[in-house]
Amino acid sequence: MKASILVCCAFLIASSMVFSDVVYKFENTIQEKRFYSLISEIRCPKCTSGSIASSDVPVSRDLKRRVYEQILSGSSDQEIKDYVTERFGASSDYKPAFEGANYFLWFGPFIFLGLLMLIFLLSRRL
Amino acid sequence: MSSIYRFLIILLPLLVFIFYGKVLLTDRIDSSNYMQPKNLPQFELLDLNNQEIDIAAFDELSLLNVWASWCITCLVEHPYLTQLSEKEINLIGLNYKDSQENALKWLGKRGNPYTFSIFDPRGDLAFDLGVTGAPETFLILNQQVIGHIQGELNQEKWQSTFVPLIQAAKEASK
Repeated sequence: MKASILVCCAFLIASSMVFSDVVYKFENTIQEKRFYSLISEIRCPKCTSGSIASSDVPVSRDLKRRVYEQILSGSSDQEIKDYVTERFGASSDYKPAFEGANYFLWFGPFIFLGLLMLIFLLSRRL
Repeated sequence: MSSIYRFLIILLPLLVFIFYGKVLLTDRIDSSNYMQPKNLPQFELLDLNNQEIDIAAFDELSLLNVWASWCITCLVEHPYLTQLSEKEINLIGLNYKDSQENALKWLGKRGNPYTFSIFDPRGDLAFDLGVTGAPETFLILNQQVIGHIQGELNQEKWQSTFVPLIQAAKEASK
């Protein structure tokens, strides 16, 4: 019994040690919320699909660290996203801004659906 | 008239299907090869022999190859890089997230094709270049990054990606 408790304690201590290097400490909860929403909106450059929040490859770890550092140094969300897309390309932003060519990206599927509906209705009327 | 619409109903989704199929099946890595020239990021790093780096080394056409002693694919491309450095181009190394000792040992054992290797243990310059892992290779002219390959550099990729870029750069400078 004693041995098993000891083993459990050992596992607990060991597991907390393993994760201790990826704990991010923030000055307030707003910073923390911004961090977690940002890392879920930045694409992992090494993965087929997925955000850096869901990835632990070295480049995602670096990206998370940089995002963390930028938040602490007072950069805005947009500044941080620009910082990332400048280096890893526009496709690293999972939530692209409403502007320019991105309108096609956001509304393309709806435009296509509308066109199909139009053709369908017209063909039925004739 | 209605037969045209019926025809369109079949044709349009088919076109969309082909379009997305093409987008998905095209190698994403290939599309990132052709890039807008970007200035080489500034850095304060030494080379593997603790010597200061003269940025003028990047004035002429050169390859910047990201490598590490822990990287297995780097071993695979090493003979080809050696061959390239002997006849074609100025080859500079970027030693990525490695220890100086292991890196020097690696070069001593397998031969050093690089004019020099920038020592980047934290991956700072690599991050600013947009490196996602090793190996990766950048084509540089006049301190500007004009080409980028992710993964192993071989004869095929050299011919299909870098040679056209080099030719375009040469013609532009004429």
